[in-house]
Amino acid sequence: MTAQAVSSPATLSAPAPSRMRSASRRMLALNLIGLGLFFGLWQGLASAGIINAFLLPSPVDVVAALWEMSNDGSLWVNLAASLKRVCVGYLMACVVGLTLGFVCGSSQVMAEIVRPIVEALRPVPPLAWVPIAILWFGLGDLSAYFLVFLGCVFPLFFGAYTAVRSIDRNQINAAKCLGASRWLLFSGVLIPASLPIMMPNLRLALGIGWMCVVTAELIAAQTGLGYLIQQSRMLFQIQNVVAGMVAIGFVGYVMSAAVERIERRINAWAPSERD
Amino acid sequence: MTSTAHIDISRVSKVFGAGEQGAVTALKDVDLKINKGEFIALLGPSGCGKSTLLSLIAGFQTASSGAIVQNGRAIAGPDASRTVVFQDYALFGWMSLQKNVEFGLKAKNVGKRERAQIARDFLARVQLSGFEDKLPHEVSGGMKQRAAIARAMAPDPEILLMDEPLGALDAQTRVLLQEEISRLSSESGKTVVFVTHGIDEAVFLADRVVVMSPRPGRIRQIVTSHLSFPRTAAMRADPWFTSTVKELWESLKPEWQKEDKQ
Repeated sequence: MTAQAVSSPATLSAPAPSRMRSASRRMLALNLIGLGLFFGLWQGLASAGIINAFLLPSPVDVVAALWEMSNDGSLWVNLAASLKRVCVGYLMACVVGLTLGFVCGSSQVMAEIVRPIVEALRPVPPLAWVPIAILWFGLGDLSAYFLVFLGCVFPLFFGAYTAVRSIDRNQINAAKCLGASRWLLFSGVLIPASLPIMMPNLRLALGIGWMCVVTAELIAAQTGLGYLIQQSRMLFQIQNVVAGMVAIGFVGYVMSAAVERIERRINAWAPSERD
Repeated sequence: MTSTAHIDISRVSKVFGAGEQGAVTALKDVDLKINKGEFIALLGPSGCGKSTLLSLIAGFQTASSGAIVQNGRAIAGPDASRTVVFQDYALFGWMSLQKNVEFGLKAKNVGKRERAQIARDFLARVQLSGFEDKLPHEVSGGMKQRAAIARAMAPDPEILLMDEPLGALDAQTRVLLQEEISRLSSESGKTVVFVTHGIDEAVFLADRVVVMSPRPGRIRQIVTSHLSFPRTAAMRADPWFTSTVKELWESLKPEWQKEDKQ
C-alpha cells in the first residue's frame, strides 16, 4: 500500500469550503428570521396595546433603557461586578472540582471516599445556600463567589471524574511503558485525552455559574446585574428590569458561544478517533 | 538467581477475581526462557492467556505467583526498556505522528532537536516520511500501526512487546507489515515477544512459536523455526513453513472449534 493512496480519502471526506459557507449562511439567515419574528410579534403586540406596558415594556422601550443605562454607566459597572464574581467563583470551582475529579478518576480509593460527600451535597440547589452564605460572608462579593462556586463545582467534578475514567487504558499503558514520568503522564496524556469529554461540562458549569451569580445578586449583593434588576423592580422601572434580563441573556449566550468555539477546536482530533 | 536468559519466566500463574466461583485462572505454571535477540510468538486461541502473559512481561499487571525476571532483575512495573505495540494502536490522538514518536524520547529527556531528528528517522524506517505532521485519525490503520511501531522503537528499548499488532488490519496490509516487522526486528536485534492468533503469522515471524492452550492458560508446545532471517515473501512457499502451519492448524483445530462454540 502506498502512502499517497491512503491519504486521499481523508481529504475527500471534508466538504468543500464554499458549500460549507453557504450552508452556514443559510442557517444564520434562519436564526435571524426566528429572532425577527419573536421581536416583531412582541413589538406589534405592545404597539397595539394588547400587552400592558407596565407588565412588559416593548422592545423599543427596552433598547432605550439599555441605551440610557449604558450612557450613565450603571450597565457597565454592574456587568463588570457580575463578570468578576462569576470568573472568580468559576476559577475557584475549577481548581477544587477538577483537581478532585482527576484524583478520584485515577484512584478508586479516593473516589469511594469523596463520592458520598459529593452525592450528599449535590442535590442542594445553590439558592438554598443563600441564608448560610449571607450568615458566613455577609452581602457582597464573597457570598456571590461562594454561591457561584457551589453551582459550578459539581458539574466540574463529574466532568473531570468521568473524563479520566473513560480514557483508553491502553493510552495510559503506552505512556507508562514509554517511560513517562508522573508529570508527563498527567500533562501530556491525561489532560489532553480528557479535554474533549470534559469540555461540555466546563461549558455547562459556566452557564450554571452565570445563573448563580444573578441569583446571588438578587438577594445577597449590592451591585451586579441581579441587583440592578431587583433595584429597578422596587423603583417600578420595569423597562430596566427587562433590559437587565436582556443583558444577562446576551452575556450568557456570548460566554457559552465562546467556550463552544474553544471546544470545537479542541475536539478537532477527537470525533474520528472514536470510530 | 543466575540466569543467562534475557527474560526468564518461571512458574507464573495469574488468577483474576476471587472466591470459589468468581476466580478465573488465566495462566497456570508458565515456564519460558527468552534469549536476547530472540523473536518469540505467543500463539493460541482467545482465552489462552497470551495477552495476559504479555501484559505481565510489560509490567502492566503483576503475577499471582511465580516470577518474571529481566537480565536477572524482577520486573516491577512498566519501564522504557520494554515498550509495547497495541492492537488498537493506542496512539495519542491529539499529537501528530512525529510527536507520537517523540513521546518516549521526551520521557527520556532527549533534547528537542535530537528527538525530532530521531523520530523523523524512525518514521522514515517505517515508510511514513511525508506524514510526520498528520494526526492519527487522518491516516489508515496500517499507517497508524507503522507509527506505533516507530513510537515503540524510538526510545531504543531492549524488548519489544507486540500485542496482536496486526489483528485489526486487512489481510493484505497484514502480510506487508509482517515482512516489515521481520526486517525491522532483525535489523535492530531486539528481543521481540509477539502475541497473535494467526498460525501463519507466528510461524512466518518467530524464532520459536510458543503454542498456548486455554482454561487454564498454559504452554502446550514450542516450535523452533527452520527459516533464516530476515523473512521474505518467498518463505511462505517453503516446505517447512507450509507443513508446520498445516500441522499446527490440525493440532489447534479442536480447541478453536471449542472456543467457537462457547
